[in-house]
Amino acid sequence: MRSKYRLGIDAGGTFTDFVLADSTGHIRLFKALSTPVDPTLAIRNGLKLISDEIGESPESIISNCDLCINGTTVGLNALIQHKGGKTGLICTAGHEDSIEIRLGHKEDGYRYDAEYPAAEMLVPRYLRKGVRERVISDGSIKTPMHEDDVRDACRAFLAEGVETVAISFVWSVLNMKHEHRAAEIVREMMPKAVLTVGSELYPQVREYTRTSTAVTNAYLAPILKGYVAAVDAYFKQLGAKYPVRYFQSNGGLAIGKAMTDRSVYAINSGPASAPQAGLFVCEPFGHKNVITVDMGGTSFDITLTKDGVTNVNKNIDFLRYRIGVPMIQVETLGAGGGSIGWIDSMGLLQVGPQSAGSDPGPACYGQGGTKPTTSDVNLVLGYLNPEGLLGGRLPLDKSKATAALRTIADPLGMSIERAAYGMYTIVNNNMVNGIRRVSVERGYDPRDFVLVGAGGATAAHITALARDMGIKTVILPKLASGLCAFGQIISDVKYNYMATSPERLDNPSSFGRIDKLFKKIEKQGVEHLETDGFKKSQIAIKRSMDMRYVGQVHECTVEIGNFEVNAKTIGKIIEAFHTRHEELYTYSERQSTVEIVNIESTLFGKVAKPVAQKLGRGMPVAKAVKGSRMAIFSADGKAKKTPVYDGSKLGAGAVVVGPAIIEEVTTTIVIEPGWSAKLDASGSYVIKHKGK
Amino acid sequence: MKAPAKRISAAKTAKAKVSKATSAAVNVSAKPATKVAARKTKFKKTAVKVSTRITSRSVDPITLSVVRGVLETTQREMTLALEKTARSSVFNLAHDYSTAIFNAKPEMILQGQDIPIHLGSLMPAMKAVSAYFGDDIHEGDLILHNDPSYGGSHAIDTCMYKPVFYKGKLVYWTVCKGHLTDIGGPVPAGYNPNAKDIFAECLRIPPVKIWDKGKPRNDVLNMIFTNMRARRDQEGDFNALIGACQVGERNLLAMLDKYGKGQVDDCVGELLDMAERHMRSLIKEVPDGTYEGVAILEDAGHGFGDFEIKATVTIKGDGCHIAIASPPQIPYFINSYEGNSHSGVYLGLMMFAQLPPPYNEGLYRCVSLDFGPKGTICNAKEPAPHMNCTTTPMETLTDAVRLAFEKAVPSKVSASWGHANGLNIAGWDNRHNEEYVTMVLATIISGAGATPKQDGWHAVGPECCFGALTSGDIELLEYSYPIIIHQYGLMEDSGGAGEYRGGSGTAWEVEPLDSEMTFIMFGEGRRIPAVGAAGASSAMVEPKVGRLERKIDGKVEVIKDNIIGTIKPGETVTNKNPGGGGFGHPFKRPVEKVVWDVKNGLVSLKGAKEDYGVVIKDGKSLAVDTAATNKLRSAVH
Repeated sequence: MRSKYRLGIDAGGTFTDFVLADSTGHIRLFKALSTPVDPTLAIRNGLKLISDEIGESPESIISNCDLCINGTTVGLNALIQHKGGKTGLICTAGHEDSIEIRLGHKEDGYRYDAEYPAAEMLVPRYLRKGVRERVISDGSIKTPMHEDDVRDACRAFLAEGVETVAISFVWSVLNMKHEHRAAEIVREMMPKAVLTVGSELYPQVREYTRTSTAVTNAYLAPILKGYVAAVDAYFKQLGAKYPVRYFQSNGGLAIGKAMTDRSVYAINSGPASAPQAGLFVCEPFGHKNVITVDMGGTSFDITLTKDGVTNVNKNIDFLRYRIGVPMIQVETLGAGGGSIGWIDSMGLLQVGPQSAGSDPGPACYGQGGTKPTTSDVNLVLGYLNPEGLLGGRLPLDKSKATAALRTIADPLGMSIERAAYGMYTIVNNNMVNGIRRVSVERGYDPRDFVLVGAGGATAAHITALARDMGIKTVILPKLASGLCAFGQIISDVKYNYMATSPERLDNPSSFGRIDKLFKKIEKQGVEHLETDGFKKSQIAIKRSMDMRYVGQVHECTVEIGNFEVNAKTIGKIIEAFHTRHEELYTYSERQSTVEIVNIESTLFGKVAKPVAQKLGRGMPVAKAVKGSRMAIFSADGKAKKTPVYDGSKLGAGAVVVGPAIIEEVTTTIVIEPGWSAKLDASGSYVIKHKGK
Repeated sequence: MKAPAKRISAAKTAKAKVSKATSAAVNVSAKPATKVAARKTKFKKTAVKVSTRITSRSVDPITLSVVRGVLETTQREMTLALEKTARSSVFNLAHDYSTAIFNAKPEMILQGQDIPIHLGSLMPAMKAVSAYFGDDIHEGDLILHNDPSYGGSHAIDTCMYKPVFYKGKLVYWTVCKGHLTDIGGPVPAGYNPNAKDIFAECLRIPPVKIWDKGKPRNDVLNMIFTNMRARRDQEGDFNALIGACQVGERNLLAMLDKYGKGQVDDCVGELLDMAERHMRSLIKEVPDGTYEGVAILEDAGHGFGDFEIKATVTIKGDGCHIAIASPPQIPYFINSYEGNSHSGVYLGLMMFAQLPPPYNEGLYRCVSLDFGPKGTICNAKEPAPHMNCTTTPMETLTDAVRLAFEKAVPSKVSASWGHANGLNIAGWDNRHNEEYVTMVLATIISGAGATPKQDGWHAVGPECCFGALTSGDIELLEYSYPIIIHQYGLMEDSGGAGEYRGGSGTAWEVEPLDSEMTFIMFGEGRRIPAVGAAGASSAMVEPKVGRLERKIDGKVEVIKDNIIGTIKPGETVTNKNPGGGGFGHPFKRPVEKVVWDVKNGLVSLKGAKEDYGVVIKDGKSLAVDTAATNKLRSAVH
């Protein structure tokens, strides 16, 4: 850290979290209500809160920051509410409808549902303009571009008040000439419009993915542009010495310009910092295989990092829009503190994805909720303090929780307690199911990982989850409820560069071509980072290739570190692919020819980490006991007397043996029988099963 | 010749012990059940009476939910393995495959959410395969089958069955079914409109072991592959099918280890019973009686004329009997054997029931079927040619059943979807000096029928697949095959007119890259548009039906019969697929919605007037002539 402070601001659905780290290793967490209508307002409010607390003016704090980092949901909200810019699409004639055809598929789970609506179009059909032009699959031009078609499109867009334009042609990824020329024409005729060029944003094979990514980017660009301008100006006015960094869904930081050019990278940035935070809190223990789980009020987010490399998604449907660019794989389930238990049309007990949200909220909040939620369950099981959360500022009503649970207990013919434990089991199993999607479906055995808990509600479930999955070690930071904001201030700047290079690897002349292409995109990336102020020594590069057997169509991404591609290394690279294929699909075909399709280099601009915090020794563990309550840890619904600890009184080295409950200000940790927690000086509880 | 049949490298059989899971994430469509004091004929979505005591046996309801989740997760992981590793575009781009899990009986205990045409027929097929081998089924066996006389649908949909053993006893079957790109026979890709019998269509594979107690029977595999085109693709697809079965086995065994066989069996039994109760509760709300639906099967080139398929649905209490009457089988590839007809009838039933997942065989316990006498189009017998059966006559059969249910509950049942009429293509790929052959699923993407609540989806058919297909990225198709796709788009005026409009069909135009290409047509729906519901019908029929347009030297020839033809570089064929049927009278469609469709090129000015009675003054201003519109619209009411 070069200065006194580093500030992270992470906007969430309900709260905006502020994390302020100082040069002594002290980390403070603040929460202000989010202000979706004017997102910069929450930032002002939060800064005032911090200012009041530490007795220093916002100007002084900001001008003493080496970095101010912002994770924003403005892009996400615009996509959810369909409030992006008025967008036009210029595409190859004959292919105007690929974003509406959506490969002709209706999502699984809705097969016979007569009311499931079609996806809302970000660009209506009348604003999708075909241009006569065609590049074919070898990159050659079959039909030269009719420039008048582009001009006609621009005229139509101007007449309709289009403010942002996407250009995406078939096979532009192999020959960008037409897209570049069309872009020149658009810039000339529509100088005020924001422009997104498909082959620049996402230079990989798949026309539908590329077009849809470009359209989504174009749709969000005006929103992000306005937002970034407002935030940048505000911080400048406060005297910030360095430009604000924005957090991206690829798990890294970007400066404002990159954020407005590549707005689609902003859409799911919130949970994407969890892996960095997970690795950071695991560092003192040497763990590099980390699953992070983050349970909030309505959702449960999961990420996975293997050997320090986090799972990434490419070419997925996000909020029903196909997005190509890499995003940290975040598996999101409707399993939060507000998730509702119900009996489905077959008669099966289910939990979520519906949520009581914050209004009316769980029944135990006493704001009119009558349906049983996960929070009600945790209260009835004795996990949560009946006197209330957040040090009593949020009182809880157990009788309302019990009444709500009766609505499922009676039809199931069970006691309230057994029904509560049943819901607890089911919501945990939903989470386990989600964890399979990031682990087993990616060829990893979750038992090889440690589990890191983030978010306010996770800690009540964390030992049960570890038990269900056979995971031996849990790391639960005291900072859990603000862990994502913390993850942002320890992240590096990160840009992804991609290219397409379909090559069969039985042809040795391809190796040099592939390597040259890597070098080409990396040169671009290095230049980009140097303009951002990074020195060569602060820049790191990681390569990956999308590979498959000849004849397959779906690729499997293989990380090759910073390997050069040549005759010497190719054997290892191919072997890594066979191994990955086996991990994923149970078999490999070592005699078959392997080909590569896409390549990608990730460039990191390394940012110095803040000073780590260090806890002192606290009082003897027995003195941290603040009382006890009856808690249920088994399906029979029988309660056990369970000690309750005040987390703020525990110091480094303290060991708490389960069954036990540890109350921190922003979270409550449930230690099941058989497990014990040791508080580490780095500020995390290390929770392990007895005898392991 | 070397025998290149592959050895599948022994699965990483390390059993993942972690396999508990439930399914809220999967089942997001379901809404909380509401208890309804339902009067007969009053229908609400998922409005089902839930008996207060759920379990009929001593099943822990919590474990029950968990077991259900494991089964769904297992099926999902099988599907993923299949999709990601398959070679042919029909599998890996088009999703034309399905997976299922059976118990030892064998009853289907979980039906994937894949292709409806596959899943009905898997039930009789599994039973035929199991019966054929009797007690000669052993750990490590793997059985292959495609023949319609053993419950198969059409022979190009090839099935892999893996018996799963636990502690030495058969406990489950993991099953996959997928559309290969070729199955031998005289015509590439299996569809031969000139075939007079099944022997002129394909290689018939009765149930045969391709692994015997864990040992691959390379001689048998080699015999099969030797009879198929594009061998590399077929071998790769077999590996994908086998891999998926193994993924399923791995998960199921882990589940038994964790929960114990007794408890799991109870849960599975209960899941079947619950599905049965659910379907019965829906049928019970239909007034007792007999309802008939008749649909017309178009003559798409055989010359025997149009046929009628009739479905008679008899509802009595909570049971249902569905009887089918169809004309005698014909020497043309549109005969449906019993297995395939199961799929057709069950899809019609699901268009009424509209159930959310999970799906299992319990759903059909209260439904008895009669496909009519053997030797008829919907109950064909050897040696009837059949390759087109999964779309034709299946979709007409489905329509007949749907129409019968529409009579029973007019407010609930959606309109028919566009039927499939599409292309297979084959030729020589000069780029790699190899033969290519494939079905082009993008050519059958039709429009969905409108529902009582909304317009039909565009481009999500055909009816027999109900949205489960994916048509594949055009760049990936052009990469895999030497073709240029000039158009893949929606078509003006193709959606059936209605208060709720049917979804638009699609046009797919192709030119061969550098060598002659053979195209083989199949399907129907080129004269009769998708049938509307609740009084919907279209005045402008022609744009709503399918056709093939062959363009040579600027001249366009419209083809409506199934033929085999060729085109050269510089020439194109455009396959046009029908839109879906509308719902409700089109004159009830709000004027502004019609104008919006015109603005977006989905309805023409002429269509607005003729189909919807909306007179728009000109294409530029889109101003409505209100007086003329009112006059037109009131004339009918």
